[in-house]
Amino acid sequence: MAVVTAGARLAPPSTIAVAMTMARMKAATLRHALRGQRAGLVTSGGALGLALAGGTVFLAVRGLPGGADADLLAAAYAVWMFGWILGPVFAGGGDETLRPEHFASLGIPPRRLAAGLLAAAFTGVAPVISLLALAGLVVHGARQGAAAALVAVPAAAMTLAVFVLLSKVAVAALGLALRSRLGAVAAGVVNGAILAFLGQGWVFAVAFGQGARMPSGVVRALPSGWGLVATEAAAAGRWAHAAGVLAGTAVLIAVLLAVWAALLTRRLGAPRASTRGRRPMRATTGTGVVLAKELRTWSRDLARTHQLTFALAYGLCFAGAPLVLGWSGMLPWAGPLAVLMAAAMSANLYGGDGTALWLTLMSPGARDVRGRQLAWLLTVAPVALVVTVAGAALAGGPWALPLAVLAAALGGGAGLVVLVSVYGLVPGVDPHRRGGNPLRVSEDDGAITGTAYLMLVLAALTAVPAGLVALRHGWAGVPVGLVTGALFAWGFGLLAERRLRAYGPELLHIMRTGRRPSGGSAGGLSSSLSELPAGQRAVVMVCMSLGAIPLVPQGIVAGALLSGGASEQSWFLALYMPPDLRWPTVAFMVLLGAGMYATGLTIFLRARRAARGGAA
Amino acid sequence: MTAALQVSGLAKRFGEKTAVDHVDLTVPQGSFYGLVGQNGAGKTTTLSMAVGLLRPDEGSSRIFGVDVWADPGQAKALVGVLPDGLAMPERLTGREVLTYLGLLRGLPPDVVAGRAEELLSVLGLKEAEKTLVVEYSTGMRKKIGLATALLHGPRLLVLDEPFEAVDPISAATLKTLLRGFVAGGGSIVLSSHVMALVEQLCDHVAVIDRGRVAAAGPLERVRGEGSLEDRFVELVGDGEAGVRELSWLS
Repeated sequence: MAVVTAGARLAPPSTIAVAMTMARMKAATLRHALRGQRAGLVTSGGALGLALAGGTVFLAVRGLPGGADADLLAAAYAVWMFGWILGPVFAGGGDETLRPEHFASLGIPPRRLAAGLLAAAFTGVAPVISLLALAGLVVHGARQGAAAALVAVPAAAMTLAVFVLLSKVAVAALGLALRSRLGAVAAGVVNGAILAFLGQGWVFAVAFGQGARMPSGVVRALPSGWGLVATEAAAAGRWAHAAGVLAGTAVLIAVLLAVWAALLTRRLGAPRASTRGRRPMRATTGTGVVLAKELRTWSRDLARTHQLTFALAYGLCFAGAPLVLGWSGMLPWAGPLAVLMAAAMSANLYGGDGTALWLTLMSPGARDVRGRQLAWLLTVAPVALVVTVAGAALAGGPWALPLAVLAAALGGGAGLVVLVSVYGLVPGVDPHRRGGNPLRVSEDDGAITGTAYLMLVLAALTAVPAGLVALRHGWAGVPVGLVTGALFAWGFGLLAERRLRAYGPELLHIMRTGRRPSGGSAGGLSSSLSELPAGQRAVVMVCMSLGAIPLVPQGIVAGALLSGGASEQSWFLALYMPPDLRWPTVAFMVLLGAGMYATGLTIFLRARRAARGGAA
Repeated sequence: MTAALQVSGLAKRFGEKTAVDHVDLTVPQGSFYGLVGQNGAGKTTTLSMAVGLLRPDEGSSRIFGVDVWADPGQAKALVGVLPDGLAMPERLTGREVLTYLGLLRGLPPDVVAGRAEELLSVLGLKEAEKTLVVEYSTGMRKKIGLATALLHGPRLLVLDEPFEAVDPISAATLKTLLRGFVAGGGSIVLSSHVMALVEQLCDHVAVIDRGRVAAAGPLERVRGEGSLEDRFVELVGDGEAGVRELSWLS
């Protein structure tokens, strides 16, 4: 063993040493994750990613050199790139297993630290899957000759580096943006817009397709398409061009690394909250004072500001996208969509406040749940109503259906945000411990994303009765929406209050330690889920999160439109089918969705019964 | 006379680990009671269970004779709690936190306003009038926590590490405040691992070791002839001779 005396001045470790050490730290945490509670999420996410990667490679196998199919491959890589940029934003801060703060006291130079964190970022499931997808480049090259394949290998590796670095820079830049109100709003708008446009991608595909073909210039100009450009240049024997593109990619990587290193040094130090004038608290009742606290939190917590603008931008852009096709029929739905997204973003309302729950426990008479519900409604409802009315006016109706759905979804959302956040509580990071990343509201972003999806589905379901009435009887749907909304808000709130009273200490314990109490029945939904074997858990997660897509839009809504004799195809698969296949398509979609829910629920309930039986 | 806090047979397991193993404590009315122990000895877990923030596996806790778990409403009105390291309503200013909690406790608005003003000025938090709690330093967080514990005029204070990270001037203010509270007939339980502090403030002490009570009673009886620190090391030391040094520093 080498002898190092105390006080000896040591040279800082080399870039390679830092990178290796951090990659090994990350691998160690990954090993724990695969054995621990999150194994199900890792495996189900991994399976989904593998399927997507397979699909991408298939595009390359099938493709025609230089033709429209190569454009499709470039477009697929663009989607991968946006996935890397947006994924962490949606999931709450991205992969932060190793954080710069952990190494702040070690005195490692910023670039070397960034390189080390980058090495750690490459150690994981997502980069491996992306690399598989990028192997499509090599396949594409091989179809055009050995030289192109040879160029494709470094191109694929460099493209992966660009993806990972873009993701890191996006998160770091967003973290900085979230230090000011304006930045939080801007980030929310940009992120909501990108997510909406990804969801509506086919709209643009059709729009551009009507002209001639894929926008091949655009998808190749994006960094995600540069690998393809280099490969094609090599295939055509334009070596200088190929080398130039690869060199350009290398320069981009260097620039991104430098930007990221610069952002990392600025991130150290706690974010500043907004310091506007403080209006005095004038509330005099228990519920009133909770409302006052929540309203202040909504306007002062920049993470919440970001969530709200995100939801609003998502609704507006999603509903506005079909305007590209000259179809304004989705505009009235911007408001309801924003409400659903706002509910999804608030799915962990209690978890986001961290251990502050102890104060609720220490003042048992207080009506915390009602105050929070009211605050959520007051924050979301006015703007959603304005957007819905404006959208309906611009599109020239319909009026009754979106307004009925809006009323129902607002009430349903107000009920569900407290209910889901109490039953499916995901331990949050205490606000004063979020460190350099204000988006980091929880350590467990898999669970956060899961509850957000669940919330989208549940909130949409609460609007179904009012929507059906409005479809059949027009304006009668609006009072029905108001009544069901009020009932859901009242009833779910009551259930949440009971839960808090009965299991408050257990919920606080979860927040405090991030762990479920042993043998307790307090964990509810997510703890029963975590007791399932990894494979079954994956099935449950996939069924529950994706079942809504065939069931609601492609099944129920398409069926409703079909029975109404809709002439527009808008965005329903069934309406694109030949007439005699339309109803079978609807039936198939409904059965598929219902079947997915039934499967998920059966596995889940069986496991829970087994767990209870074992415990008794 | 009913004890201010009576804890009987409290036990809590986390998985394989027994955190608290049948602890009995009696805090007489008007006493200043110190709870000492190493890190991880079970002090915080015991106090959390005693005030109703963590459900015990076994045992009970009574505040002035009121069972914390059977009648939480009445019991919690009698106690002020300062937990260690838990969050507050972070996006409020100090004054707003006190207003909020006072009204939640059911105090009339004018009483809340008056007490909040007095607490902020005594604890030296007035200059941070416009600062949100999330931006407070660790010491300021302790002080605003203590203010919330005192706000509703409880007869028992349960304080988990109240002096940690508090500067010497504020600590002196705090000590005066707490002594005054006891002199006025109130009772205090505080946990600490600073022996000198406990010796200076408390008249009763309990030593917690690995989830059990190693010794409890009036300070003079527990420490005997020597200092509390000597007695503490004697009680909880694991018998290994002396404290070891680090090979590359000595």
